[in-house]
Amino acid sequence: MRILQFFLALACFFSAAFSTNPPTDKFEKYQLLSHSTSVKLDDSSYEDLVSKPRDYYSAIILTATEARYGCVICREFQSEWEIISKSWNEGSKPDDIRLLFGSLDFSMGKNTFQKLMLQTAPVVLVFPPTNGPHAKIDSAPLRFDFTGPVSAEQLYTWITRHLPAGPKPPLVRPTNYMRIVSAVTLAMGFITLVTVLSPYILPVIRNRNLWAALSLIAILLFTSGHMFNHIRKVPYVAGDGKGGISYFAGGFSNQFGMETQIIASIYGVLSFATIALAMKVPRIADKRTQQLVIIIWGTVMLGMYSFLLSVFKTKNGGYPFFLPPF
Amino acid sequence: MASPSLDVLLKGNSSRNVRGLLRIIILCTIAAAAVSSRLFSVIRFESIIHEFDPWFNFRATKYLVQHGFYKFWDWFDDRTWHPLGRVTGGTLYPGLMVTSGVIYHVLRFLTIPVDIRNICVLLAPGFSGLTALAMYLLTNEMSSSPSAGLLAAVFMGITPGYISRSVAGSYDNEAIAIFLLVFTFYLWIKAVKNGSIMWGTLAALFYGYMVSAWGGYVFITNLIPLHVFVLLCMGRYTSRVYISYTTWYALGTLASMQIPFVGFLPIRNSDHMSALGVFGLLQLVAFADFVRGFVPGKQFQKLLTAMILIVFGFALLGLVLLTVSGVIAPWSGRFYSLWDTGYAKVHIPIIASVSEHQPTAWPAFFFDLNFLIWLFPAGVYLCFRQLKDEHVFVVIYAVLSSYFAGVMVRLMLTLTPVVCVAAALAVSHILDTYLVASKPSEASETKPTADNNQSGLRSTRNPVVGVYSYLSKFFISAMMIVYLLLFVSHCTWVTSNAYSSPSVVLASRMPDGSQHIIDDYREAYYWLRQNTPANAKIMSWWDYGYQIGGMADRPTLVDNNTWNNTHIATVGKAMSSREEVSYPILRQHDVDYVLVVFGGLLGYSGDDINKFLWMVRIAEGIWPDEVKERDYFTARGEYRVDDEATPTMRNSLMYKMSYYNFNSLFGGGQAVDRVRGARLPAEGPQLTTVEEAFTSENWIIRIYKVKDLDNFGRDHSSAVAFDKGHKKKRATKKKGPRVLRTE
Repeated sequence: MRILQFFLALACFFSAAFSTNPPTDKFEKYQLLSHSTSVKLDDSSYEDLVSKPRDYYSAIILTATEARYGCVICREFQSEWEIISKSWNEGSKPDDIRLLFGSLDFSMGKNTFQKLMLQTAPVVLVFPPTNGPHAKIDSAPLRFDFTGPVSAEQLYTWITRHLPAGPKPPLVRPTNYMRIVSAVTLAMGFITLVTVLSPYILPVIRNRNLWAALSLIAILLFTSGHMFNHIRKVPYVAGDGKGGISYFAGGFSNQFGMETQIIASIYGVLSFATIALAMKVPRIADKRTQQLVIIIWGTVMLGMYSFLLSVFKTKNGGYPFFLPPF
Repeated sequence: MASPSLDVLLKGNSSRNVRGLLRIIILCTIAAAAVSSRLFSVIRFESIIHEFDPWFNFRATKYLVQHGFYKFWDWFDDRTWHPLGRVTGGTLYPGLMVTSGVIYHVLRFLTIPVDIRNICVLLAPGFSGLTALAMYLLTNEMSSSPSAGLLAAVFMGITPGYISRSVAGSYDNEAIAIFLLVFTFYLWIKAVKNGSIMWGTLAALFYGYMVSAWGGYVFITNLIPLHVFVLLCMGRYTSRVYISYTTWYALGTLASMQIPFVGFLPIRNSDHMSALGVFGLLQLVAFADFVRGFVPGKQFQKLLTAMILIVFGFALLGLVLLTVSGVIAPWSGRFYSLWDTGYAKVHIPIIASVSEHQPTAWPAFFFDLNFLIWLFPAGVYLCFRQLKDEHVFVVIYAVLSSYFAGVMVRLMLTLTPVVCVAAALAVSHILDTYLVASKPSEASETKPTADNNQSGLRSTRNPVVGVYSYLSKFFISAMMIVYLLLFVSHCTWVTSNAYSSPSVVLASRMPDGSQHIIDDYREAYYWLRQNTPANAKIMSWWDYGYQIGGMADRPTLVDNNTWNNTHIATVGKAMSSREEVSYPILRQHDVDYVLVVFGGLLGYSGDDINKFLWMVRIAEGIWPDEVKERDYFTARGEYRVDDEATPTMRNSLMYKMSYYNFNSLFGGGQAVDRVRGARLPAEGPQLTTVEEAFTSENWIIRIYKVKDLDNFGRDHSSAVAFDKGHKKKRATKKKGPRVLRTE
């Protein structure tokens, strides 16, 4: 690969040297530097790259990948950026659209960051050509700001939208062979494990209590609004503004993570009381014990239900019903 | 207490008849209660169709009744989605309309002249009575207790989770679909229990009816195969399962393919592939079971099992390949967004924008189901006690539907039936235990029980004795009765307060407590009907499309059917852009009037400014360069309408139309938007390309007429400026110093 590049460079050098074109075709110079991904830039090469006149598009990411800047998105997006530039450089693209990918790290280009007055990173700039067939009158770069995690697909569609119409190479994500192999190995290992351990696992799987417990837990989770927490990403608890903790969110369609856990446990206690009263109590042979257990479970049920109603009343102001203790 | 005369009634052969009669009377009473608790809105307001979608169903039903069945089947509607039109006959679920059409014609045949509107309004309550009956049948299959079925019927009849979609006037697909859902499940359970082709066929027929009525039929399509699959995994393959499933699948699929809207989906869509896969698996298992009878060798049987697994694996692989290659369509967006909960927000903003597609917070569960929600897990646990085939069904149904209901508010509807079954099982078990007058004898301790085996539940190891003391019996029964009474009052309160508003007509209270009706919607729609030409095109946000079509009878650009995202985005773009950008769009789509909903005067929060961001988002999905959501937020990321609103916001057509002339209402004072609690800029927006045509009494609906092109060929802003007497600024005003021309 290296040798090939060397020859390529050599060939280019000669072709540049012997052709009638001036030897300073910036596009080809940087194209060569890019090693089929993006060009690593610093202040001076950045200035050179974007200086007028230019007859090519250039997409440049201004980023800060070093750990000391603490830019998580920058580091996460770096690999996505490589995917974009690689897909473009290696894909079959129309001849007349010339596009260069570059990346300028903050450690290499502090002056540029200052000149552009950038407060945040990463930022993607796309410079249109100033001469050539696709030249734009307005030579100012187009700017893409990151408002959150962005996938390569999103940015790539944004870039291609600003290029002239025509076929563009598709975005190709490299196949992760390692992952496929490891997945297959894991699956085989799992099957082997299950076959070997089946005498021990089968009784567990066939245990009715286990399945009952699993389904009850699932039902309690879902009916107490766990999916709401998951989708809306609600906070676990919130302060009440007086230094304390408010366990219950105000409003009917609003809740905290802890609130749902409290509700789930209330539902759990109530159902368990019901199960106990319906199934366990009639099976107690001793008279006195039975009487005592019934009173206890009945009281627990009443108290819990009353508490549940009072909680619901705080969520829904106009609710008129209540039960005695709370 | 038991006098000899009562003994005659309660014992022996006659008691069976008496109990049967009692049962019938009780069921009739339940059905009557179910119907009557849904009539609040008719009594309080009037017999009127509610909400949005019902207006389309009503319009379609009227078309069906007027033009007959075949015309309805081929109906191309050119009065919606102007200029595209909609192949309505092929893109709707016709079950609801056909049902009310049949009822209408039967009543006419019996010479009972009933208006079609009244049939539509009262269809949902009527079917809820039938649902209660179906619930009774379904629950009776689950339990030997005589009270379980009746309790389930009562719960189903009055629980708000079901009432929310079936009050009088809510003429929507769900009105009949829930009855069909429950009844199909009953027939399926019956088929599995008896292994009879007849019950399987009936299940398939009602499944076909269900397909014709509601898109939620996919739930049945996946639940029944799952039930069979779990039974197979539990090693419970029997010829009963084989007979009932193959009958149901073959006939049910054929029946569902008769609906034009469904067509070939059952063999070309991933939603339906689980049914097909289980059908194939069942054939394999049946074959193995058949061969096993002849070849007893243990090695051979192992080989057979391995063969089945391998064939099944390959079939699964083939299915995946077909899906990837595109022969089989992947999961439909709506269904897929149930599993990948972030999917809709990114890819289908139209689905994410609907309020009933939001996830469910816990108060909503309690609000809709009250104490059933905590009896529900107990009832499911009781199902594990016997765990026959039908109990497996209840358990699967319970877990799946509670997940679905958690993800989408609207699917609370599918959860409600299983909650009622499970809760009724729990309550009936308690009542059966504690309402027995006779005491257990001390000797009964040693009685052996049948279910005392190892595979049973932990809590059923000991033999049943019974409850000894009257005190505990009284305590528990009284408690349960209090809870039941509380449940009834909760249901009545919820129904009357939350679910009986037609949303076309709004009710408010005057200071003296009397009711005041706000009737702006109908006022505005009636104005359109009376004052505009019959084919004037009305543009509004898609929420109001069905109502305009139904009440004003005018063509609309987009409606609640939302089948064409681009067209909706076009409307969104017109609403969210500057007038100069919007006007060409309006002209291109022949728009005559633009309708906006504005709640700022009254404090009505469901207005267009609150929905505006969705219009922007949907438009941005198609034109990301021209409409940007960021531009509608201030620098600090707030969505504001007052002085600090962004220029893009203030220049958008929607903003201008909402607040046009609003200042004049407040005399000299500053205008206040009551919904957003914002003080508006002192100078109101100016409109140049549209002019105010109508504003309803409480300003909820505002209608603007789109101006024609200017007679002198000016653009509208300069024409308006001229009319106001502003002097036209000449471009040549600033001249340099005069120079002598030398030629």
